[in-house]
Amino acid sequence: MVTLMSEQAQQIEDFVPNEYAAGFVTDIESESLPPGLDEGVIREISRIKDEPEFMLEWRLQAYRHWLTLETPEWAHVQYPPIDYQALSYYSAPKQKTDGPKSLDEVDPELLKTYEKLGVPLEERARLAGVAVDAVFDSVSVANTFQDKLAEEGIIFMPFSKALKAHPELIKKYLGTVVSYRDNFYAALNSAVFSDGSFIYIPKGVRCPMELSTYFRINAANTGQFERTLIIADDDSYVSYLEGCTAPMRDENQLHAAVVELVIMDRAQIKYSTVQNWYPGDENGVGGIFNFVTKRAACRGESSKVSWTQVETGSAITWKYPSVILQGDNSIGEFYSVAVTNNLQQADTGTKMIHLGKNTSSTIISKGIAAGRSQNSYRGLVRVGPNAENARNYTECDSLLMGDKCGAHTFPYIEVKNPTAQVEHEASTSKISEDQLFYCKQRGLDVEDAVSMIVNGFCKQVIRELPMEFAVEAQNLLGLSLEGSVG
Amino acid sequence: MKPSVRQLPEVATPFASVAEALNVDQMPWLTELRQQALKQFNSQGLPSKKVEDWKYTSLWGFGQQTFNHDALVHAVTAEQVEQAALLENSYRVVIVDGQFSSALSQLDNIEDGLTLSSLSTGAAQVQQHLGQQVDIAKAGLTALNTMLMKDGIVITVAADTVINKPIELLVINSGATDDLAVHLRNVLVIKQNSKATFIEHYIGLSDQVAMTNVVTEVVLDEAAELEHYKLQQESDNAFHIATLAAKQAAKSNWHTNNISLGAQFARNDIHSRLEGEQSHTTMDGLYLVNKQQHVDNHTRIDHLVPNTTSNELYKGVLDDESHAVFNGKVMVHKDAQKTDSNQKNQNLLLSRGCEIDTKPEMEIYADDVICGHGSTVGQIDQDQLFYLRARGLDEVTARSLLTYAFAVDVLERIPSPEIKAALADVIEQRLPRGGAAA
Repeated sequence: MVTLMSEQAQQIEDFVPNEYAAGFVTDIESESLPPGLDEGVIREISRIKDEPEFMLEWRLQAYRHWLTLETPEWAHVQYPPIDYQALSYYSAPKQKTDGPKSLDEVDPELLKTYEKLGVPLEERARLAGVAVDAVFDSVSVANTFQDKLAEEGIIFMPFSKALKAHPELIKKYLGTVVSYRDNFYAALNSAVFSDGSFIYIPKGVRCPMELSTYFRINAANTGQFERTLIIADDDSYVSYLEGCTAPMRDENQLHAAVVELVIMDRAQIKYSTVQNWYPGDENGVGGIFNFVTKRAACRGESSKVSWTQVETGSAITWKYPSVILQGDNSIGEFYSVAVTNNLQQADTGTKMIHLGKNTSSTIISKGIAAGRSQNSYRGLVRVGPNAENARNYTECDSLLMGDKCGAHTFPYIEVKNPTAQVEHEASTSKISEDQLFYCKQRGLDVEDAVSMIVNGFCKQVIRELPMEFAVEAQNLLGLSLEGSVG
Repeated sequence: MKPSVRQLPEVATPFASVAEALNVDQMPWLTELRQQALKQFNSQGLPSKKVEDWKYTSLWGFGQQTFNHDALVHAVTAEQVEQAALLENSYRVVIVDGQFSSALSQLDNIEDGLTLSSLSTGAAQVQQHLGQQVDIAKAGLTALNTMLMKDGIVITVAADTVINKPIELLVINSGATDDLAVHLRNVLVIKQNSKATFIEHYIGLSDQVAMTNVVTEVVLDEAAELEHYKLQQESDNAFHIATLAAKQAAKSNWHTNNISLGAQFARNDIHSRLEGEQSHTTMDGLYLVNKQQHVDNHTRIDHLVPNTTSNELYKGVLDDESHAVFNGKVMVHKDAQKTDSNQKNQNLLLSRGCEIDTKPEMEIYADDVICGHGSTVGQIDQDQLFYLRARGLDEVTARSLLTYAFAVDVLERIPSPEIKAALADVIEQRLPRGGAAA
């Protein structure tokens, strides 16, 4: 028995991944601001981006508020304090003209990077039916399918461009879901955000294709602060994909994005993320700090939002994609797979705030911890006093691989209405020897068996992903846990 | 996580009188302990809502209240005690208004191997254990208790002894003294291969404002077993604060059942440390609250070594504008392989205006474990209600019956039929009676 166990422990170790496949640095000139943060830097960012006055005002308000805040410390993660004055807050690929008019004008080095990552930017994009708004270190360099989307009246463009083209929409919605007063990182993001995506789906329009954006952090020492705002007007539908990889670095890089979703009457947003940023090496050196605020407001009746995330990267993942269920009969869903390995730490989950009548929410969270990693689920289900007949179902399961990792569950349930039905269920275990034995006995080797069991464990979540992403996610899972078992 | 400092200005005053009462000169170690607690309390004060463990429970009202630390003469009669007691056939230790009363206690024919004494006489006997299971640095209320503890019970059971008769600790607040604060400390030491049954029972006889702050420390040696029940029926205006902490050696078994019915404000902190292999903890409990009652149960189980198990079931029934908090934490430490832990918290909401905040937590640092928890919030099933109504039960009776069925579930694991029946009775009496059933 003892030998069997240690043998398996060894197999676990072997299965754990080693090389970060997406680790490479593109060598292109970039234009950066010197490290440091003060009002001058914010004015400079705003000036470079040629923003309207209200935007600068808002940034400054956010900055002044940020100065009054302290770094939050409640999460189950540990990291050295971040020196915010040592970061550079703006970095843009150097451009000779005002922006590329076609792919030919895009820096070939950049295109090569996308190719390595498998971003379907050229004909592959067309084949895959994906419109890519690729954010490369803060400035968008290429957009595709604009015409097709424009026909439908859909606005899908970089945030900075939208700020010029549709300032009224941004003024109306920006910060209404995640206020700059919300938390430390949201305030920081509001002050210094460089770019991001803006999407507006008009009334009654069903977006004909999956919209997607790739984010990459490229210039060393540059925190990337994206801001995404998606508005789905009455009776509309959009599915948005977000995937990320980052080059290998030895210094921790801060990533503090804000995502705001606004969903009106009977509209629906499906937001999928595959996050595979550099997690640091096996000794925990390097890796991205991913501190993100994502929130959706179901404002309209019968509106629906669905967050799906596969989190395999980053040294620290700290995010809670949340839903405010304001409209009657609105629905919130959260499907998550979080994989941590080596010294990675994840503290992730969701918040479902039930305010409207007959609202319902589903939370499915799967955590897989291997190596010496720590993986926490932290969630909140709150039912307000007027949220008649609210319904929540939560399931969070953890799978442990190896005896040096940790899996934790911190679900908060707050109910103020007696008609609410709330169920929470959580379990923690490892891949059982029986399961492995069964598979091995049928001729599978340990690696395939583990991969199969892990995929089965995550299936509930993976099947929520759009097809293109599901394949990528499954590969990622395999890659992230290659060599490990329980 | 810095607790805010909110001091009670008069805390130093009762200290002098308590010091006298406990004969501290003869026990310098105890005086030392009190001094430490005083220092701790003065630097920390009471925890604020910013402290995670007090997120949903405010001590503001408690901090505003001034308490009287010296009891006047009470007039509790033997009949009243008889009526208040849960069990007829038991060793009964009675504490009235914070003071042990040998006249009202029932301590005849004590079995061999069992010693029962009040804190003032028994403290020396358990010097090595007193204050060991709780941390005065962590909770302001424990520091307050350590500083001011006046009485309580000290129980020791010798090795290889089974105590057949249950021990009931009956703590009565007579209401004779206005705003009386009582700080009690109980210490139980069960030696190896021994077994005992202990019931803590708190009861208020008037609706006087009062405070009970009790700390119970339990030490279970190898293969020791303790059935440990707590029934709280304080008056509507009482503050009840209780801390139960046990350390368990190999093969020991601590079975707690914590029933919270009374008090305007009740807080229970129950903590077990499984330090020896094959030890087991059962933590069951029920909170049944109405009006504007506030009840907060915090439980914590530390699995420190391999092959330990725990089982937990807490149920709550909330009516009117009551507010209940449940926080159950299971910690599986590094190397505590083969841990099997299961926790459940279920809540029944009966009325608009009530609030439940529940948080079952798991922190797991070992991989070969089976751990699960579940938590539900719901209401009386309409189909079940219809079924009973169709059979002629009026609405009140039908609802009470369904509520009763939901609640008594927590008694299932109690081995003694007498205790189980007595507790079931108490629960039943608490529920509203309809016309048909009366």
